[in-house]
Amino acid sequence: MKYIYSVIQREIRIIQSRPIYLLASVGVLLLNAVFYLTFMKDGLPHDLPIGVVDEDHSSTSRSFAQQLDATQLGEVIYYDDLHLARRDMETGKITSFLVVPEGFNADIQASRQPHIGYYINSLYFVGGALAYKDILTMVNLTNGAVQRQVLRAKGMNERAIRGQIQPIVLDQHQIGNVTTNYGVYLNSILLVGVLEMIVILITIYTVGAELKYGTSRHLLRTAGGSIGKALTGKLAPYTLLFTLLGIVLEVCLFHWMHYPIKGSLWWMFVDVLLLVMASEALGLFIIELFPVLRLAVSVGAIISVLGFSLSGFTLPIEAMPPYVQGFAAIFPLRHYYVFYVQETVFGSGFAGWWQEVVHFLLFLFLPLFLYRRLEEAYIHQEYERD
Amino acid sequence: MKETETTYAGTWIKNWYDIFINELKLIFTDSGVMVIFFIGGLLYPVLYNLIYMHGTVDEMPVAVVDLSGGSYSDRYLRKVDATRECRIFCYCTSLAEAEQLMQQRKVYGVIYVPSDFDERIVRGEQGVISTYADMSSFLYYKNLTMATSHVMLDEMHVIQTEHYAAAGLDGQSAWQLVQPVLSDENMPYNRPFSYTIFFISAALLLVIQQTMFYGSSLLAGTLREQNRSFASMPDRLQGLGIGRVVLGRGAAYFCVYLVIGTLVALLIPWIFHLPQRSEWWEVLVLLLFFIVDCIFFTFTWSTLITKRETVFVLFLSISPICLFLTGFSWPTTAIPAFWRTVSYLFPSTFGCRAFINLNTAGGTLGTIAPEIWAMTVQTVIYYFLASAAVFAENKVIEHRDQLQALRSRIDERRGIDRAENARIIAGD
Repeated sequence: MKYIYSVIQREIRIIQSRPIYLLASVGVLLLNAVFYLTFMKDGLPHDLPIGVVDEDHSSTSRSFAQQLDATQLGEVIYYDDLHLARRDMETGKITSFLVVPEGFNADIQASRQPHIGYYINSLYFVGGALAYKDILTMVNLTNGAVQRQVLRAKGMNERAIRGQIQPIVLDQHQIGNVTTNYGVYLNSILLVGVLEMIVILITIYTVGAELKYGTSRHLLRTAGGSIGKALTGKLAPYTLLFTLLGIVLEVCLFHWMHYPIKGSLWWMFVDVLLLVMASEALGLFIIELFPVLRLAVSVGAIISVLGFSLSGFTLPIEAMPPYVQGFAAIFPLRHYYVFYVQETVFGSGFAGWWQEVVHFLLFLFLPLFLYRRLEEAYIHQEYERD
Repeated sequence: MKETETTYAGTWIKNWYDIFINELKLIFTDSGVMVIFFIGGLLYPVLYNLIYMHGTVDEMPVAVVDLSGGSYSDRYLRKVDATRECRIFCYCTSLAEAEQLMQQRKVYGVIYVPSDFDERIVRGEQGVISTYADMSSFLYYKNLTMATSHVMLDEMHVIQTEHYAAAGLDGQSAWQLVQPVLSDENMPYNRPFSYTIFFISAALLLVIQQTMFYGSSLLAGTLREQNRSFASMPDRLQGLGIGRVVLGRGAAYFCVYLVIGTLVALLIPWIFHLPQRSEWWEVLVLLLFFIVDCIFFTFTWSTLITKRETVFVLFLSISPICLFLTGFSWPTTAIPAFWRTVSYLFPSTFGCRAFINLNTAGGTLGTIAPEIWAMTVQTVIYYFLASAAVFAENKVIEHRDQLQALRSRIDERRGIDRAENARIIAGD
């Protein structure tokens, strides 16, 4: 215990004399938190530019465009020419436009079924999908409005008209994110992914820096010759720091930002604590496998960027090829995500996520396989230093 | 005597050439940089293509609670089952049972048909169907919404036609009443809303910018650690060589990245059958502007890196931020003004957008002219900033002793004893 304590004291000196440790943990997480939380602060985009090419210039087409403009989602930009609209869609200025053909009004009055053409640029995913939804709704409302006029003229009562115009109504419920807030869905995993990245990189960096600066023998001496005590003492201050960061992050998301959570915030603390420990173990494993700082940091960087995609919070994991699905299990963020879904969406408690706890704990065995390799490197210091 | 007397231009070219060759040597003899440039630069696009191979969630399992059990509800549900988006995993007897299946991750959505559904439709009233979407991924929500809405619209027209037929209207006149306005749907670039096309189109050029930044910073950091930064070069040239240093090093990265860029932007989409709707030489023109822009961007910002490994520890999380700043996902119009301004700092903001519009949407060089302009302006500004950075660093190197003294004074004020710290960290 005495040895571990002196290693901890030594580590605090290191953190004090080199600003990079605090900058790379607290600074980086703060920057990312400020970025993502303000970037998507509206939750859902509104006033998306939607182009309207009005070739009819009638009162019907005008009121159609005005109603589209009045929707929360859309903001109409008028075009005189289809080619101009098409060009603006190609340049990404608008993600969609629709064409109201000449004679639109007259054709409706004469029951000649005019065509409205709409074009969606689905390369811009969110904008495209939302504009698509908005336009589809408007076209159907127009159909309904025309029918309503006809049926009213025939003397049908309002209740029967409703049943005729829209016989089936969809009552949509969004479980776990009632307001379909895009920020809730992205930020809760992105920011934790950044934390995972920080933990992996700093673990590799601090353990590897002993090799690079040739101080590893002194570290071992301080720890009484035990690599286990050396690493325990070395990582202890960081574990505390990362856990604190994780807890502040969870409080920020679910308490200050009011992100929906069905279960308990306390369990999310457990989730983030396990993520921190598993990521430390993964980082330790990488530097044990490649006991050269520069190589280990590069490998850690490549791996932690992949963690975002492979957690499965954007494209679900079951839509990926089977061998990729297996690969995803080596990322702590994947297990954090499964735990998170159970706790925040379903509030399932222990019964829902105990398997993830087991997976997280398995990570902790990783460093045990190769610690001798690191010990050798620490003693001999024979690898290239930079 | 004529041979030894060289002109200014001659010296310039010779110095430039030496710096160019020297930088190429540095790049190709540093295994770390080679890993980032070639493994990182080429591996990422391949990996992302493998991860996002399918790009869409098809036949997503949903649970159904059909308390009505009539012919209308049955037809509705069978149509949902037939969509590409959803398949019915099982019929449950209660909502609680279905919710349990969702929690066990066996289904990602629930469709609930209340007991009076068929009765209400027969009576000519509105029947209500409830859907419950799992919001843990937006694609689940999108799938359930798309499938149930499209079937709802389809069924709506069928039921309306039946009602009109019952009222004695059928054939053409009923059809005209049901659909007074017809619509033509056009989704020219990414019909199935494929995640692959959407994500990879945006990410490819970002990989070029980021690997160049990380690799080059790695090298700059190493040189600075060893006190042989390129910024000390102008000393040998009597303080005049800034342009030579910046352009000479730049030419080295240009050569390397012309190869990597071509592989990433032209070969990778070809291998993985991603849309390539423009001429190959148009993509090449875009690459020229983009790569030059990235080079001076890198030179400017890598000034902040003083140690080899710190670039990853400090700047790795910038990559996803850059990706969001391109506006590929969250629409540009919805990005807060402050972040839109920040996005102008990065070549990727314009490069990625230009690539999407040119390569994937099939625009022409004319369509991406605004982005090309923006990148040109960026290039000029970053060139001067990169030169200023070399100048400033050169001055810092010259005044190292004074800066050291200043640092000691600050340490003293903060109460940090570096000698004592070093003794505790490293022993004797």
